[in-house]
Amino acid sequence: MTSFDLVEPRSLEEAFRYLDPSDPAIRPFGGGTALMLMIKAQMYKPQRLVSLGRLGGRFSGISFDANACRIGAMTRFATLEHSPEIAARLPVITEAMKTLANVRVRNVATVGGNLGHADPHLDLPPIWLVLDAKVTVVNRGGERVLPVADIFSGYYETTLGNDELIAEVEVPVRQGWRSKYVKVTTRATHDWPALGLAISVQIDGHLIKDLRIVLSAAVDFPRRLLGAEAVLRGAAIDEPLLQRAGEAAAEEADMESDSRGTGDYKRHLLRAHLRRAVLALAAE
Amino acid sequence: MTSFRNIDRSVPRLEGREKVTGKAEYVHHLRLPGMLYGKIFRSTVPHGRIKHIDVSAAAAVEGVYRVVTIDDIRTIIPHPYYGPAFHDQPVLADGKVRFAGEPVAVVIATDRRVAEEAAGLITAEYEELPAVFDEVEAMTSDVIVHDELKPAATFPDLQHLKGRSGTNVALDYKLRRGDVDAGFAAADRIFEHTFRNQQVMHTPLEPFVTVAEPGDGRMTLHTASQGPSFVRIEIARLLGWPENRVRVKVPFLGGGFGGKLYIKLEALVASLALLVQCPVKISLTMEEQFFMVTRHPCTVRIKSGVNNDGKIVARRCDVIWNGGAYADIGPRVTQKAGFTSAGPYDIENVSIDSYAVYTNRPPAGALRGFGAPQTAWAYETHMDMIADALGMDQIEFRRKNLLREGREQATGTPMRDAALDAVLDQVSTRMAWSEPVDRGTGRIRRGRGIAVGFKGITAPTTSVAMVNCYADGSCALYIGTVDMGQGSDTVMAQIAAEVLEIDAESIRVIHSDTDVTPYDMGTLGSRSTFHMGTAVLLAAKDAKNKIAELARELSLPPGNNLPLPELFRRKYGMQAGNIIGTGSFIPDYEKPEKDTGRSTKATPFWGVGASGAEVEVDTETGHFTVTKLVNVADVGVPLNPKLVQVQLSGAAIMQLGFTLTEEMIFSEGQLTNGSFADYKIPTLLDLPAEFINECVESRQNDGPFGAKGAGETSTIALSPAIGNALADAIGIRLTDLPLTPEKVFKALSDAKRLWSAGG
Repeated sequence: MTSFDLVEPRSLEEAFRYLDPSDPAIRPFGGGTALMLMIKAQMYKPQRLVSLGRLGGRFSGISFDANACRIGAMTRFATLEHSPEIAARLPVITEAMKTLANVRVRNVATVGGNLGHADPHLDLPPIWLVLDAKVTVVNRGGERVLPVADIFSGYYETTLGNDELIAEVEVPVRQGWRSKYVKVTTRATHDWPALGLAISVQIDGHLIKDLRIVLSAAVDFPRRLLGAEAVLRGAAIDEPLLQRAGEAAAEEADMESDSRGTGDYKRHLLRAHLRRAVLALAAE
Repeated sequence: MTSFRNIDRSVPRLEGREKVTGKAEYVHHLRLPGMLYGKIFRSTVPHGRIKHIDVSAAAAVEGVYRVVTIDDIRTIIPHPYYGPAFHDQPVLADGKVRFAGEPVAVVIATDRRVAEEAAGLITAEYEELPAVFDEVEAMTSDVIVHDELKPAATFPDLQHLKGRSGTNVALDYKLRRGDVDAGFAAADRIFEHTFRNQQVMHTPLEPFVTVAEPGDGRMTLHTASQGPSFVRIEIARLLGWPENRVRVKVPFLGGGFGGKLYIKLEALVASLALLVQCPVKISLTMEEQFFMVTRHPCTVRIKSGVNNDGKIVARRCDVIWNGGAYADIGPRVTQKAGFTSAGPYDIENVSIDSYAVYTNRPPAGALRGFGAPQTAWAYETHMDMIADALGMDQIEFRRKNLLREGREQATGTPMRDAALDAVLDQVSTRMAWSEPVDRGTGRIRRGRGIAVGFKGITAPTTSVAMVNCYADGSCALYIGTVDMGQGSDTVMAQIAAEVLEIDAESIRVIHSDTDVTPYDMGTLGSRSTFHMGTAVLLAAKDAKNKIAELARELSLPPGNNLPLPELFRRKYGMQAGNIIGTGSFIPDYEKPEKDTGRSTKATPFWGVGASGAEVEVDTETGHFTVTKLVNVADVGVPLNPKLVQVQLSGAAIMQLGFTLTEEMIFSEGQLTNGSFADYKIPTLLDLPAEFINECVESRQNDGPFGAKGAGETSTIALSPAIGNALADAIGIRLTDLPLTPEKVFKALSDAKRLWSAGG
């Protein structure tokens, strides 16, 4: 790490003045928890870092209306963790915070930075996907809205332009849906997940009316398991159905071996935890 | 009964307040005027001849002072090879690299970030050579890591070291007792198993760091070292200087665990400072520690002859220690852990072969337990496998064979003050062993296991201590023991204070500074309380005698209660003078016979511990939890019960990581998980819900106030206790550490396949 400039603009206009999309040594950042590690490891050598932490406006705060929950991109994890509204309306997020990194990281890391980092092991992105969240991204000329799922294009890769900033995340209010995130670790408790599994269901008795299943960590970016969803959608929960769903999930998920487990073991874990998660959601 | 004011009292750590308020001194924080920073450029291949090193781009970076290779080092140290057992490790790679991660060059710059940046611009070309990584393969491999073996002959117990030239064997230690083949022939049953231990690392919170400060024909080293006296001796030898021109200072250490022993960064940083004639500092990153020193991977083959009544009549152990590219203290691990590798059992016929071998991995050295946990993993798993086959209760089987007080251990050294029975009994009680166990239902299965183990202590080693009573009656203790978190300052003050009849809290402990504090062999291998503790006891007694002498000289009647400051005033006419008491201790030792390993004094005392574990297994995923963990130790008389308790729990947590989650993973000699995102040490969240650490009532009769060391005891039997519990839960044995959920799952699936194939 060699010296670089750090600027903290107070307005979007000022931020864009400091940013230069054509210069890879100039980057925006949220909390910086991931970026600092890359800088220390000499994987990234910045000349200027532009903190978005003081932008305020739509970049900050959590608000709810009848249709959606809106979360500013610079909202820190600790704010989500301790928000009574989030606990009441999106408890899957509050629950995930219990094992998400550590208190030092949660006090600093931001929702937007976390999405932009596109590390497949992160816990929040699969949850946004399963909640059907959208993001608003802004550039000098305007803004666009896209599903969170469309941000990711590869391992640490996104579809966002160099001139774009994530401004806010919007989670729709979906009546009758319940969600669950399972962080499956295979070593120490504070390890990165071997696989992350987020599931959201709309259940009527034992009938799954609709659902979303998202797999993370074991794949290059968080992905919906559409095959397994198709098996379960509209079906009544029973053992053979769960078996078929597990097989479909293991079949469609392309999982590699790493220090957290072989691909075969992860497929087995996926089958087992998918089944358990659906049963747990049905029992809620 | 004697009553004590300092002994068996949980005196709060003397340095506790300094530490929690962030005022404690560490080398990490040290900055000297004009100090430069070094950054190491490391080898990318595990074995190769260096064809070319290009430092030009690095040298051109603004702020870079100099880039150094072995050719520069040689102008300072003509024979730049160091090590405690072999002088085999070059200060920087010398024509050849022997592991991926080996230091090849160093950038010295005015700023550590600049040095880091420039080191990234160095390039090296290698002619790659075939490499060997596995210890068993290295025994017979055509790949030879060192063409020439260079024994150091520093330590009396290793003086006979020759190694086997033309092979990778740096040391072959032998122990022969009775006739093991005849024993096997006469035994009712024979059991033979092989066990493996993985490579792991110390992970001190404070990574390795050294500052060298050159003076006028002198050198001061500020270094995070567990053995300042050894550093001074070795640096003086390398430089060809007398010892009195090298000064080694060690403040507090942020953990050592055996890693910061002997000589690590010191020779390199001392050379750099002499080259540039400025103070130089090298601070390793957390990640670079994987390339400094590690714990030996180890393969143990163990064969036992057992009679149907459960009596073990013969045992053979073949232990192969993977020492990596440089021997470090591995040969001593090989010998010390070798001689106890048949376990704490009374066996008539024993044969042990223990080999230290070179491979192309990062070097291995001392790590908390000094090899004992690796051998105990083997012999205590083996013990349970035999008990299962004989249909005997695991504890009964052990009791039947346990070494009792006065009996000769395999070396011929009698067991003295070794509470093996007591620790086993107490674990049995804490585990409620006689009660039935809840085995779980459905996919959840539960089980329990126990294990017992022992270790010999590194010998012979010397400690020297000095007590200085100042003219106002206050006292300071001058010792080379390094407080690295274990609380040695506090315990040593307790010992001195007890003799001097004052409170431990009033004593000041002067930290290691070889210009000031006397010799100590090192803070290692559970030796400080016993060795340095005895030296401190002698020093305090010496001071006390001198105080009495002074009183006699002043014609005071015996039993007078004149306070010390008044004695000084009467002697010198004012507040002046010192009374200095000194003490020196080396225990009796008998060198093992070369061909039989026999010695009647192989160890000054025995480290003795037992563990018990309960596990809960999710048989669908292989995920399992240690729900209860009990560690019972024989520490003699606990001088400071609270410190003993945290030593036991700390060591147990460390060993828990080595049992469950930690493993350095290599692909063709390249470490693939060399960061703490991928190499997982346990945190508080990983601790068993029920976690008991305690000691039995015991006494080390020749120890200071009946005490012996406590720093490693709970590491010895922990892994096999958990492995045995796992086997009890699922009916399957794992023989290779670490015990991971995937291994459990795979063992269960393979067993299921076998059952279904068998119909």
